[in-house]
Amino acid sequence: MENVSNSLGFGAASADPKAAVMNQVRQEAAMTNARQLIEKVNEHCFDKCVPKPGSSLSSGETTCFTQCMEKYMAAWNVVSRQYIGRIQQENGKSGMF
Amino acid sequence: MDSPTTSLDQNLDLSKLSPKDKQELQQFIVNESQKARIQQSVHSLTDVCWKKCVTGSIRSGKLDKSEETCAANCVDRFLDANFTVIKHLEAMRNQS
Repeated sequence: MENVSNSLGFGAASADPKAAVMNQVRQEAAMTNARQLIEKVNEHCFDKCVPKPGSSLSSGETTCFTQCMEKYMAAWNVVSRQYIGRIQQENGKSGMF
Repeated sequence: MDSPTTSLDQNLDLSKLSPKDKQELQQFIVNESQKARIQQSVHSLTDVCWKKCVTGSIRSGKLDKSEETCAANCVDRFLDANFTVIKHLEAMRNQS
């Protein structure tokens, strides 16, 4: 039977329920992550790029948005690297977390 | 997009899984939950540190050096603060 997972090329969901659950979980995690990122980018970049909303989004504002988005993602990566590094370090120290 | 839950319900009979598969699946869920928790923390930390470190107007798609350093420090100090709070709470608990 054709379903979302199958149509996305994730293989026989009905034959292997374990793989189907795994894919479902992965997909939902990716979705949540993406939604979260979009929400934050929009919030912060709207703040930065559209101080005074006009009748339409100007080309300058659009450029600002794409740059801001790239910048936000760069910041996300820096934070992620630093956070994970720190967690691992603390983990090695005390076994907390 | 189709509702994910519907496609799950239609195709999955988890009672048919072998004990080994069940255990594997359980471990997978534990790992994924942890990943999701960490990702969640990264989102909220980025939120906090963006506010602190990216104060000027957007001039390019890259973080400049000082913003990058600031973001890294921001994460470390936030965690320091977190540990300080936990330690102090513990101390308070031990006093009473």
